[in-house]
Amino acid sequence: MIRKTLVPAVLLLLLTSSAPAGLLDNIQKGFDMLSTSSDATQKAARSITDEEEYFLGRAVAARILETYPLLKDPKLTEYVNSIGALLALHSEKPYTYGGYHFAVLDTDEMNAFACPGGTIFITQGMLKAVTNEDELAAVLAHEIAHVNHRDGIASIKKSRWTEAVTIIGSRAAQNYGPQELSHLTGIFEGSIDDIVKTLVVKGYGKSMEYGADKTAVAYLVSAGYEPGALKDFLDRMVTRGTASEGGILKTHPGTTDRIDNLRAEIPKETVNPSLVSKRTNRFTAAGN
Amino acid sequence: MNRNRLMSASLLLLAMSAMVSAETVTVITRENTVREVCRFLAPAKAKVQFGDQLEVTAKEGDWFRVNFRNAKGCIHKNAVRETTAALTDVSGKGYSTTSDEVALAGKGFNPEVEKSYRAKHPELDYHAVESIEAYQVSDESLKAFITAGGLNQP
Repeated sequence: MIRKTLVPAVLLLLLTSSAPAGLLDNIQKGFDMLSTSSDATQKAARSITDEEEYFLGRAVAARILETYPLLKDPKLTEYVNSIGALLALHSEKPYTYGGYHFAVLDTDEMNAFACPGGTIFITQGMLKAVTNEDELAAVLAHEIAHVNHRDGIASIKKSRWTEAVTIIGSRAAQNYGPQELSHLTGIFEGSIDDIVKTLVVKGYGKSMEYGADKTAVAYLVSAGYEPGALKDFLDRMVTRGTASEGGILKTHPGTTDRIDNLRAEIPKETVNPSLVSKRTNRFTAAGN
Repeated sequence: MNRNRLMSASLLLLAMSAMVSAETVTVITRENTVREVCRFLAPAKAKVQFGDQLEVTAKEGDWFRVNFRNAKGCIHKNAVRETTAALTDVSGKGYSTTSDEVALAGKGFNPEVEKSYRAKHPELDYHAVESIEAYQVSDESLKAFITAGGLNQP
């Protein structure tokens, strides 16, 4: 909108110049105007950039690692990262600012966490709950969808970001005074609290979970995994009666509701069972 | 009078044509790869970093064909933002008005804020986070993984 208004202004400045000597000055003035007004617009309202999301995500990951220790198993780490990397490349956002990274947490709690920016954790408890690579891919695809939908970022209280933009907006560069830095650090910390609380305690809203399930199916189909793998996993949770237990099921909507919402999204075609079986073998060989 | 106007118009056209250089895109991920052909796991031709400007020679689906230093190759549209005006005035001074992502680089929640947060919370294990971020599956390993599992190349 601003650009639409300013481009004619720039052209007007150019065209009203009759003296060639003044022409370049006017061109300069016009582009300076564009630049200044663009900065003003950014100050008024803007969303969190991918770079800022990355710094938030790193802090969220550090906070999660306070509660759950990192499992150091190179073979399993390579395996989980291979599945995750492939799914991410099949997503609508194959690259984030800092890239996608996948890690296993050393806990029996059945859970998975998507940190903003692309770091995704899966617990050993979850690795035990899935029965094959396709189901593991389904869980990772669901978490990648949360990253791409920026569901973690959406959990930051709006008032925090509005306050942050007020501080950030007055700066031409990243040179904050001590007071501003302290204030901004407080807002950063509050934002991390909001995200961690959502990831670990409250869970995302139902619509976000259903959205992530739906998107996960699209990633699975694109990558060549069994499209019904997420539903298969959820069905088994219901059958086993674990659907109301803690971890991921505590923070997610009712499993049967998720299954109902997924049903229409799953294509009728299934993948070659021999390939699923082949992948299941390497799933077992990776230590699952 | 008419002569003056004609001269002004001619100079304006000349100035404008001198100003507009090739279309460029700016890298908006921390790092990325220019690839030989427009596919995700194609051989790497050059490594690029946030803020690097690449000259666009063509668009091909979700990819840009680009020149970067001495390398020619492809980069995915998701890794870059189109530089809305990559301009050079007649004196050679460059202008570059870019998207929010580039214009806002380093502002807001940035390394300075993270440093301050880390100082406040020395108990947080950022080294573990960095070890997770440093882990990379190589292109060759991923290609082999895809083939062995009967999966689809991205």
